[in-house]
Amino acid sequence: MEGVMNSAIIISILATGIRLATPYLLAALGEMFTQRSGVYNLGVEGIMMMGAFAGFFATLHSGSPLMGIVASLLIGALMGLLMALVSVTFKAEQGISGIGLYMLGWGLSGLLYRLYVGGITSIDGLKTIKIPLLSDIPFLGPIIFDQNVLVYTALVLVPLSGFILFKTSWGLNVRAVGNKPEAADTLGVSVERIRYQCLILGGMLAGLAGAFLTIGQANMYADNITAGRGFIAIALVYFGRWSPWGILLGSLLFSMADSFQSMVQVLGINFPYELAVILPYVVTIIALAISFGRVWAPAALGKPFQRGTRG
Amino acid sequence: MNSQFRGVLKQIVVLLAALVGALLIGAVFLLLAKSDPIKAYGVMFAGPVSDKFGLTETLVRAVPLLLVGLGIVISFRSGIINIGAEGQILAGAIGAAYVGNSFPDMPAILLLPLVFMAGAMSGAVWGGIAGWLKARLAVNEILSTVMLNQIALQLYLFLIRGPLIDPQEVSYGTGVPQTALIPEQIWLSRLIPGTRLHSGLIFALVVAVLVYVFLWRTSTGYRMRAVGAGPEAARYAGINVQWYLVLAMALAGGMAGLAGVVEVTGVHHRALEGISAGYGFSGIVAALFGRLHPLGTIPASILFGALLLGADMMQRAVNIPAAMVMVIQGLVVLFVVSSDYFLKNPSSVANLKVKLFGKKVNGEGGK
Amino acid sequence: MKRVLALILAALTLLAFTGCGTNTNKSAETTPATKVEKVRIALVLPATVDDLAWGQSMVEGLKVVQKTMGADKVEIATSEKLGSAVDAGAAIRQYATQGYDIILAHGSQYQSVLMDIAKDFPKTTFAYGSGFATAPNIFAYDPQAQDGGYLLGILAAMTTKSGIVGIIGPVESGDAVKYNYGVQQGVAKGKADVKSRIAYTGSFNDIVGAGNLAKTQMSAGADILTGSSQQAVGAMRAVAETKGNYWLSTDMDQSSIAPDHVLAAQVYRWEKVVTKIIDLRKQGTLGGQHLILSLADGTIELKYNDKLADKIPAEAKAAVEQAKADIISGKLKVELPKK
Repeated sequence: MEGVMNSAIIISILATGIRLATPYLLAALGEMFTQRSGVYNLGVEGIMMMGAFAGFFATLHSGSPLMGIVASLLIGALMGLLMALVSVTFKAEQGISGIGLYMLGWGLSGLLYRLYVGGITSIDGLKTIKIPLLSDIPFLGPIIFDQNVLVYTALVLVPLSGFILFKTSWGLNVRAVGNKPEAADTLGVSVERIRYQCLILGGMLAGLAGAFLTIGQANMYADNITAGRGFIAIALVYFGRWSPWGILLGSLLFSMADSFQSMVQVLGINFPYELAVILPYVVTIIALAISFGRVWAPAALGKPFQRGTRG
Repeated sequence: MNSQFRGVLKQIVVLLAALVGALLIGAVFLLLAKSDPIKAYGVMFAGPVSDKFGLTETLVRAVPLLLVGLGIVISFRSGIINIGAEGQILAGAIGAAYVGNSFPDMPAILLLPLVFMAGAMSGAVWGGIAGWLKARLAVNEILSTVMLNQIALQLYLFLIRGPLIDPQEVSYGTGVPQTALIPEQIWLSRLIPGTRLHSGLIFALVVAVLVYVFLWRTSTGYRMRAVGAGPEAARYAGINVQWYLVLAMALAGGMAGLAGVVEVTGVHHRALEGISAGYGFSGIVAALFGRLHPLGTIPASILFGALLLGADMMQRAVNIPAAMVMVIQGLVVLFVVSSDYFLKNPSSVANLKVKLFGKKVNGEGGK
Repeated sequence: MKRVLALILAALTLLAFTGCGTNTNKSAETTPATKVEKVRIALVLPATVDDLAWGQSMVEGLKVVQKTMGADKVEIATSEKLGSAVDAGAAIRQYATQGYDIILAHGSQYQSVLMDIAKDFPKTTFAYGSGFATAPNIFAYDPQAQDGGYLLGILAAMTTKSGIVGIIGPVESGDAVKYNYGVQQGVAKGKADVKSRIAYTGSFNDIVGAGNLAKTQMSAGADILTGSSQQAVGAMRAVAETKGNYWLSTDMDQSSIAPDHVLAAQVYRWEKVVTKIIDLRKQGTLGGQHLILSLADGTIELKYNDKLADKIPAEAKAAVEQAKADIISGKLKVELPKK
């Protein structure tokens, strides 16, 4: 254990933490809108896999990660649309629809990869962009301002989604539809349309989160690349109590714990790695358990809307 | 009685229609994969039912699906969503293997019940944690079960590669993560020689009936369903909602734990890597297929077991990538869950016809 | 109407999306057996045929066998993604029923399943690995991953400039442990003051996690890294992003993905193992042997990347070759963890 926790190491832990937080942040912010409108989409993992594949595939063939981003947004929107069709129009049980979407996304991404790529192939993904001046700030600069464009996007989306949700009339409609769909309906807000919009938006962000894994981190694609990250993102929405800042806090806490445990292992501090690997999960549960109180949730969450009936 | 029969018939027709819809979309992907959909589906449907091998393998999968599904029925009926069955299966498997190997000389008549108890308790504790977190600390069960799945997986891997590893794996230096074989006297008997179909099937069927009796014929079951129907009303009626939430999750976890036990005692005879095999998720689907009814879950589990096996056989028969199995499963789930709409809204089928064909078609919904 | 339209639209768009690109279906043929003297081999894989690791190394080996013996003499069928032993069991039994001569269950988790099935098919040869337990018609194969790991460890220790060698582990078990243990001992032998650091992701196939762990290793000073299992390519790809950092691969040569970063590889020559099984079967031995893959019989090879030959100091190469000779002659035995 040589010079263990010097500042370079701490900067590395924190910068890695922010990088690791990005897919959670993107997917969870999308899921926040979805749930705020009263639908929980457990299929985030499947959408992420499709986004990861689409981002990879488009980048591979165009040579431009930008095309990868566009493709992942498109495929995410399509998957969101499918979820909306099933859970809003056909009023299906949302938890199960989500699991169906997850299976479909997993299978389809694997199938398409085998049919149209086949074999491990590497791509040139997003490059890190040093933001002039800001990246020179001591300590904070290398942590926050030396990342790739999707990391910045995710960070900017936090205040932006807060603004959209709480300061715009569309955001007001979303919250109304999620809390009191009957009342919103009476006031002429189309519950179905808002839910469709939120599911598509959530799908796009989940697609983007998936693309971050392939074109922003791994620079390649492999089966089951999301490895459960979509489910963690859903959990983080609950953790963050459906607020962008709460989700940011949760994502950072989870990812920092992950980044920290990696460094602890690497530095050879004697600690069983299984315990280290489960640390982020345990921290999340404990943090939620001790924050006590009734957790606020959209009142109509999980309930399909049927005009003329209650709930 | 007649109308009840009609209702069941209608449900079956709608479920079958959903299945056909899913397969039609699946056929598009099969064509993309350059294989003949008719041949592929032929294998998928004929494979599981055409011989002894297919039938028994279908039932081998149906056993854990049914047990997990029964747990899902209990929890969903009590208004709590259990996504943690994967972790609970692992808890049950490791509990069974540990206790089984701790008393190698005990006669089966004592050891077998002990092993089943141990597995059920392990699963119940793992599920109960999520129930307790929800009841006492208002931690959402979706969040906690997702997290607990990951934690269970790591602990399970730690145990089967560390303290509980087969000593032979260490002495030979191969270090494969699995426990030693459990004593032979508690291997569940094989119902048909030369196949893997084991007596766990009978056990699971009995449990299904017991769960039905429990939920619909006991006051505890009644209260649990009351909590599921409306916690506010249940609380107003003096029911201790918190307690029943914990109980529901513990029972659901116990059922999943039993699925782990039968996989250990009936199929693998040890705890090894990948034993949960996705049953934790497929079981949810089976329960839903069975309309969240313990007895409905029986045929649903068999159907789903056949689907899992048939789709897997397809991989070998027509040379399509294994991922296709998952595609078909996903489509089936989406279609079946959407078909609920047509069952709940008798007018919807007529409306759909109007939308599709542009004119009013006279006929009964669901046909 | 709108909703039906939406459904059709969704289906069409998916179609359009998947319609572009070319088909690269390259699965084995399953033409019915026509002539005599044809060996039918079935392969069952826990992961995928193209994982650039354990699974693919066996697939490549079988291709070599088929090429050497003639495509009309060897028939190969493959089933992949059978991580669950239940599904693998069904596949194995199905292949056995269909009369395949040799069934390779290419995963350590298949041992129990084989023991169960092999009894019912006494004329079929089964093989699995890694493992030790055999039966009259079951071979167990067992790569001495620690030997190649030891050589790569020496190479790493004498090549590193930072003095730190990083190991990315999946789960601490089986072949991964043997390999890592070998690397650690090799590093210690290679140069006294070089450190090896090991960290596990807790998963076999999380390539993103492995990539991140590699980045953490590098930011903490490692400049030569290695690791095993399906997820290792993720770590290798992360290493390939920094000039001057290198990767040592195992199971198969992974330099096709990162030609400027893979220094050397421990390669399993499965074709030799499979050929041996075929020969034994011809002689009437259907199983019962614990087949060890080792440097001595050439079933394990150390392969250098010619493109980076100048990056490896001459004395490092000499030390590696010396150790290799010592292992082959039996003078040196790489120890395994004693629990």
